Amino acid sequence: MTTFMASVVVGIGTYASRAIFILALAKRRIPDTVMISLQFVAPAVLSALVIAVLSNDDGTVALGIPEIAAFIAGGATVYRTRNHILTLVVGMTVFWVVRALV
Amino acid sequence: MSQSTSIDRSAIRRGITDALPLYVPAVPFALVIGLAIVEAGLNPLAGWSGSWLIFGGAAQLTLVTLLGSGAAVIAAITAALVVNARHLMYSAAMAPTFQSQPAWFRWLGPYVLIDQLFALATIEAQESDPVTFRSYYLAAGATFWTLWQLTTALGIFIGPAVPDEWNLEFAVPLLFIGLIVIGIDRWTKVVAALVGAAVTYLAAGMPNRTGLLVGALVGILAGTIAERFAR
Repeated sequence: MTTFMASVVVGIGTYASRAIFILALAKRRIPDTVMISLQFVAPAVLSALVIAVLSNDDGTVALGIPEIAAFIAGGATVYRTRNHILTLVVGMTVFWVVRALV
Repeated sequence: MSQSTSIDRSAIRRGITDALPLYVPAVPFALVIGLAIVEAGLNPLAGWSGSWLIFGGAAQLTLVTLLGSGAAVIAAITAALVVNARHLMYSAAMAPTFQSQPAWFRWLGPYVLIDQLFALATIEAQESDPVTFRSYYLAAGATFWTLWQLTTALGIFIGPAVPDEWNLEFAVPLLFIGLIVIGIDRWTKVVAALVGAAVTYLAAGMPNRTGLLVGALVGILAGTIAERFAR
């Protein structure tokens, strides 16, 4: 029951965070300076998420040679092919191989 | 048929076919959540309910992991909400596009505004009229939602069988790298991405994963300043 109720609370909070600007600002014009900043939301948040999902509770970040090698290989693959599945195959393979070698 | 309820069938097909490959990297994430629910000793049905109540993997994973580790319920809820607070920025970024949409869609759309859909919708919004955008968004959102419910439930059954040494959860940051690279069309976005990552790295020790928010905000600021110099 606790798990369910906690999920309800987080669900309401998550919906509110996704809806508030869409619902509250739907009839208003957003200033140009804000619009310029908004184009940087995706690259900044996504790269912050990359580090966040590699972080441990003690503040360390699991970003070693295998991870960096996989990011470079995966980044190059997606840049050339625009194919996410191929990117994952290449990235995971490089990650496993480099981790086995170092 | 009124304009507010009309649909674009080809946009629906495109939404589904664009969502499917983007969902593949989320499969290990869903399996990890299933595994975490089982390992935490939570009621499987209650743990899975977060899949449709929250519909956000990072927050759901944070919540079940902390609840299972014996953290205070209020602490687990706060941490999960902080993880999902990045959606405030997605909401702000999507608001201009939603201004030309009917009320029912402005209320329903945010429910499925996950990372992957935000990435797809940002691109779609640049070249679509309101009806096409709405059809595409709903089709992709419904695809992500349905697959998420099924694969998190599947994770509860087969998650425990995936060997830890495979480290399949590494597919998640790899996916984000792919989304970043595809979205970069100006050097100023490279600045935003690198600064966002670097600051999050330095702030990784902050409580409740708040370093993620600090890094993202500083990254946005750095991109905006770089844009000023570029003009």
